[in-house]
Amino acid sequence: MNELWSSTVAYRLTLVCALLGVGAGCVTSRVEDAREGITGIASDESVVIMAKSYHLGNETEAKYIACIENALARGSKGLRVIPHKQFVDSLFPWFEPRTAPTETKGLPKLMERPGVAAQIHEQGVRYIIWLEGDTEKVAGGGSLSCAAGPGGGGCFGFAWWQNASDYNASVWDLEGLESAGTVSADVSGTSFLPALVVPIPLIARTQAAACKGLANQLRAFIISDELT
Amino acid sequence: MIATLRTVFMGTLFASLAAGCGSSVVLDPPTIPKPLMTTIPLSVGLRMPENFESFVHEEEVLGREQWTIDLGRSNAVFFAQLFGYMFETVTVVSEADDPSIMPFDALIEPSIDEFEFSVPNQTKTNDFAVWIRYRIKVYDRDGKLVVNWPVSAYGKSQTTVMGGKDALQRAAILAMRDAAALMIIKFDEPTLISSISSDPTSTAVPVEEGGEATAQATTLGGDNDE
Repeated sequence: MNELWSSTVAYRLTLVCALLGVGAGCVTSRVEDAREGITGIASDESVVIMAKSYHLGNETEAKYIACIENALARGSKGLRVIPHKQFVDSLFPWFEPRTAPTETKGLPKLMERPGVAAQIHEQGVRYIIWLEGDTEKVAGGGSLSCAAGPGGGGCFGFAWWQNASDYNASVWDLEGLESAGTVSADVSGTSFLPALVVPIPLIARTQAAACKGLANQLRAFIISDELT
Repeated sequence: MIATLRTVFMGTLFASLAAGCGSSVVLDPPTIPKPLMTTIPLSVGLRMPENFESFVHEEEVLGREQWTIDLGRSNAVFFAQLFGYMFETVTVVSEADDPSIMPFDALIEPSIDEFEFSVPNQTKTNDFAVWIRYRIKVYDRDGKLVVNWPVSAYGKSQTTVMGGKDALQRAAILAMRDAAALMIIKFDEPTLISSISSDPTSTAVPVEEGGEATAQATTLGGDNDE
């Protein structure tokens, strides 16, 4: 009975993903936060999205950072986001991959550097959000072959692959020079490519889902509704 | 006539295929932002090697893909700009000039020891990476070598819709910027340039020409020379 129920659910899930998703595969996501301090942001304060250094082995994609920046700034509850390149350039050389602080205990010393505190204050930066993580293909299979001739061409077969998008955001509060907490998004999804003459891709957009989920949670985390 | 056209067509086809096996990247001179630092109160001369005006690196990757990276004048522009921000006065001198008759506190001579890069095919990632090892030599006003410092810099950039050339170009710029960050932070260490005071009676301890493992270079390069 349970098996029947499971297979029915799986079938319905696949059907729903295939029909309602309009070419989208299925994704499962988990977004969590761990708060270490009270947050909140004034209208004249801003946030900066940074990737943890590739000197430390981090592989966060540039397009994911851009996606989070855009998603946080969008909407009626959008935050003021300083583009990370502008921030890094204005504080050169203190936020370069080699020199950026790796933990909050380095912040007091950094603020004592000539011009650093003034530059951060001038831009109204209240929070630095450090992103780490990436999107990887974790499994795949099936086979698909295509052929073309004078009379036409076509594909036949079935291929699938599974992507995992795991990202973690550490929120640093520059007012108290301390960590405010972390927000993480773990999204996995399987994409399918069935082909009977014409391939029909059903793509699981895990990175886009991780971007949307993390940005929404980050906004709620920073705005901290209980204070407003 | 047909034979001529066929020859021209085949020639063009082969040329296109041959070009497809190689990539050429030309770097525009990068600009670095004005650093947040206290200017070092020294008047320095800057003597750049000839290849800083036209540095070209060629490499065959995995025995099949030929890459040519033309840094052009990037290094010359980069170092003039960097030291211009770091020191009170910077004068670029040529190989023909005699620095001993010029009123400098020190003469700085940068050069490139090594240039390496990797492409996604090699690393099985989407990343292009560039490593540059510069060597910075500093001579005091008596012409003695007082600093001999290898500066290793690294830059990495992901492939974008703009393609691999754009990513490799960006990785090279990030490597140069990495070197700039290290030099800004470490150049004013007590064992380095600060030992050359503006006071003409002060003396800096000379190091042997070609001797990399000097006390001064080791102190500076130690932790940060990755």
